Amino acid sequence: MFHKLIDRLLNSRIWALAVKEINQILRNKQLIFLLVFPPTIQLLVFGFALSPDVQFLKLGVVDYAQTQTSRELVSAMTENQIFVAQDHLFDEEELAKQVQLGQVTAGVVIPPDFDRQLQQGETSEIQVLIDGTDANTAGIANGYMTQIVQQFSHQLQANPRPMLIDPEVVFLYNAGLNTTWFFVPGVLGLVLTLTSSLVSSSAVVREKDAGTLEQLLMTPAEDWEILLAKIVPLFILMLGDVFLALTVAKLVFHIPFRGNMLVFTAVSAIYLFVGISVGILLATISKNQRQVVLTSFFINLPLIQTSGAIAPIESMPTFFRYLSLLNPLRHYVTIARGFLLKGVGIMELWQPILALIVFAIVLLTFSVKKFRSQLS
Amino acid sequence: MIQVNNLHKRYGKFPAVRGIDLTVQQGEIFGLIGPDGAGKTTTFQILAGVLEASEGQVEVLGRSPRHARLNIGYLTQQFSLYLDLSINENIRYSAGLREVSRQHLAERRDRYLKLMNLDRFGDRLAGQLSGGMKQKLALCCALVAEPDVLLLDEPTTGVDPVSRREFWDILAKLASQGVTIVVATPYLDEAERCNRIALMYDGKIQQTGTLKQLRANLGLHRLEVRAQRLAEVETALLQAIQRKKEHDQEHQKTSSLVDIQTFGDRLDVLVHEHNAGTAAVQQILQNQRLTVEAIEPVEATLENVFVTCLRQQGADPPFISLPRSKPQYSTRRAADTAIQTQHLFKTFGHFRAVDDVTLQVHYGEIYGLLGANGAGKTTTIKMLCGLLEASGGQISLAGQTQDLRSPDLRRRMGYMSQKFTLYDDLSVLQNLEFYCGVYGVPRSERRRKIDWVLEICGLVGQEDTITGRLPGGWKQRIAFGASVMHEPEILFLDEPTSGVDPLARRQFWRLIEDFARRGTAVLVTTHYLEEAEHCHQMGFMVAGTVVAEGSPSQIKAAQPGKLMEIVTNQTQLTADLLKTQLDPWRVSIFGDRLHVVLDQPDRQVPEIQAYLQHYRFEDGSPLILQSLRSVPFSLEDAFIGIVQRAQEKSL
Repeated sequence: MFHKLIDRLLNSRIWALAVKEINQILRNKQLIFLLVFPPTIQLLVFGFALSPDVQFLKLGVVDYAQTQTSRELVSAMTENQIFVAQDHLFDEEELAKQVQLGQVTAGVVIPPDFDRQLQQGETSEIQVLIDGTDANTAGIANGYMTQIVQQFSHQLQANPRPMLIDPEVVFLYNAGLNTTWFFVPGVLGLVLTLTSSLVSSSAVVREKDAGTLEQLLMTPAEDWEILLAKIVPLFILMLGDVFLALTVAKLVFHIPFRGNMLVFTAVSAIYLFVGISVGILLATISKNQRQVVLTSFFINLPLIQTSGAIAPIESMPTFFRYLSLLNPLRHYVTIARGFLLKGVGIMELWQPILALIVFAIVLLTFSVKKFRSQLS
Repeated sequence: MIQVNNLHKRYGKFPAVRGIDLTVQQGEIFGLIGPDGAGKTTTFQILAGVLEASEGQVEVLGRSPRHARLNIGYLTQQFSLYLDLSINENIRYSAGLREVSRQHLAERRDRYLKLMNLDRFGDRLAGQLSGGMKQKLALCCALVAEPDVLLLDEPTTGVDPVSRREFWDILAKLASQGVTIVVATPYLDEAERCNRIALMYDGKIQQTGTLKQLRANLGLHRLEVRAQRLAEVETALLQAIQRKKEHDQEHQKTSSLVDIQTFGDRLDVLVHEHNAGTAAVQQILQNQRLTVEAIEPVEATLENVFVTCLRQQGADPPFISLPRSKPQYSTRRAADTAIQTQHLFKTFGHFRAVDDVTLQVHYGEIYGLLGANGAGKTTTIKMLCGLLEASGGQISLAGQTQDLRSPDLRRRMGYMSQKFTLYDDLSVLQNLEFYCGVYGVPRSERRRKIDWVLEICGLVGQEDTITGRLPGGWKQRIAFGASVMHEPEILFLDEPTSGVDPLARRQFWRLIEDFARRGTAVLVTTHYLEEAEHCHQMGFMVAGTVVAEGSPSQIKAAQPGKLMEIVTNQTQLTADLLKTQLDPWRVSIFGDRLHVVLDQPDRQVPEIQAYLQHYRFEDGSPLILQSLRSVPFSLEDAFIGIVQRAQEKSL
């Protein structure tokens, strides 16, 4: 019985199609490369570039007080080389200008009555300006600044009382900064989007490029068999990519993995279908490999930009914030952050998960239909 | 003009050219023919100064090719044009590269465009031209620098017969103006138009000479045998040859029959001598109680020369019948129709690509669909295959009119298109296994079928080669094997032999005939009209409609008028003169001969004779008419006539 079943499988068209795809994949060194290196490198590069270990941020200083305490505060800020005192300036306007020009990343303004207020035991307010263009760095800079000032406050008095110095941080250009450690899950989503759409589109468009599609359509194989045979091996490979990315996240970035990883893998699988459908769609509307890559820029870049993977959604204009609800990557990133960092589960994340399922079904149906219609 | 001594070229350790000598005179059209991988393209590249020879002397115009480059025009197989530039821009660009002055450019451009009949399309983008027009434009681009030597590497591959004939008429004209032309072509009927022909194989020139000399060297003659029961006649003759061969080995005597080739409605028998050969054939057939309708002695073709020569080199690919697993269906329903269309239409926008096509192909029949590029052949095949939706009309395949895209029906059909339809990144074996699997060949039989394909392709032991590394001709053969392993009842072949060398083409057709004999209905399109003779029935398509239909003999017989062969001492001049008297398409140059189609020969022949005899050169010397005789129509002549007449009618 079992033997017969195996025999039927080995004799079936879908088996022949799948074996062919697997053979092609194995032959395709470029594809293996595409699956292993770019995701790893993207994850590492984005991960480290956006990492909290920020150093040598240029700091503009306007010290109206010009006292020993104020100088001590500045040296506390620059001691651990997170900030480098770039310039001592004389008024706030100049500082604001320098921040605007990007000559300094952060600026600190110490009021003239700094010492006096401290001596009177009052809370002195210093002003910190941070360039929020690079949201992530800004967030990190803010974190450090707050910490340093707090520590400095502690040193000023042995027995803690209400804060003596209260830094009042103003973000320029980017008000709603999200300071959570969010980038690795975001980049994970980004990497899966890029890889799955590019790899699947190249697998489909290659047939067209080589002129073998016509021949394939003349065989008794049905359209769904052709596509299924293409999708399944790719899907398995891409799942490998998910594990690769997670391994990097765990080993290199020490992401906590707080949620149920089995469920997260399942959700990632659903997301892969979204990426694969986008890829098939790209391949269907393009004539050749080159066109696919060019078109993919138009789709992938906006997808990534509006997903909150790198820049927070809160910093987008309202219209785009709502538009991003139509972006499957946004939902995936939300889910990834929930599972990996916060340890929440399906109960809390049912909305984005449902959205992903809907996206996968709609896109897959649409792209398979499109693929079929190009045949006739 | 061109002098080559002991030329060698090695790529790494692989010798591509192994010592060739040749001399080409000014104003000569020198043909280079040979199978794939014979070293033709390498020779061209060395002559053009693109490649450096490994050994030997090459002189073009008395200099090394590299130094003579400005005076050499080189045309490759691919159209070397910028498809997003217009005709004028393309010409201006290549003139610029070759430092042609502005006044010369304008004058030459006008002259050559007029010669090519392209002068009306100066602003059209090269990408929008047909294959034939592109090649003419590419030739124009090469000519704008007025080179003394033209090197043409298979310029007419994939170009339809009408355009090809125009192209060759232009070459003849250029040669008469003193341009030296070296040309390679896979079309042997076309090569007959060269002044001299060199046959290349395995990096060496095997034979050189005029067509007449080559024929004389061959020492064989051809008999066209027509009979009712052609298959049985063939078997009887083949057996006789086989017996003679065994006999010969004992007695060291040459047999009178040498070789047999089957065509759609006739056999070609190669014999040492016409009379003895005819007698021998008649004797053999009488013994077998088979009747012959006619035995016609004719001259050997260039293909005969080519094939015989290469056979002696042992290059003949084997013919092996596919190991079958399905029962023969030929006897069961030979009368049934396999493919039928009625009033088939296909429109693209306002353009009628296929216009009211009605055709019928029986089981066991080879039906040839012929026509110029864009006549609608491929569109028709695609509609029959279900790759394109028909705009109107009925299609019936294997008795089915509904659900033509069902897997069940498609399992009974085979399809091979002009593009190589193999996966280049897979090995030969993986490709074949894939097609076996997808067509549902039972696993127990796959090994046998795959072995068969490997054997006919001569690739046994190399099945793990990556398909993409094989030359085009080989890929075509594997693709053919892949498309028939499941023993289809209906076989669609869209230009299966384009780019395949003559020897392999012969094998191709023996295989196709073998399938037909076992009951497969074959629908084939081809550009090679010599090859269309293999078809039982054929249809000529012009502008989407079938304008003539019948067996090769019927089509040729249905041609009005006669084909005259004229030989004079001034071939080009005579052609020019006759073209002023007749429609230009009726006159074409074949080497030192002219072929002229006359609709009313009784009246026209004396007129032409008188006209040519009364012609006087400026110095008063007469044009010498050496011979004027009627020759049988070739299919190509018929094709050109049919196309031209159909076009005249539509105008």
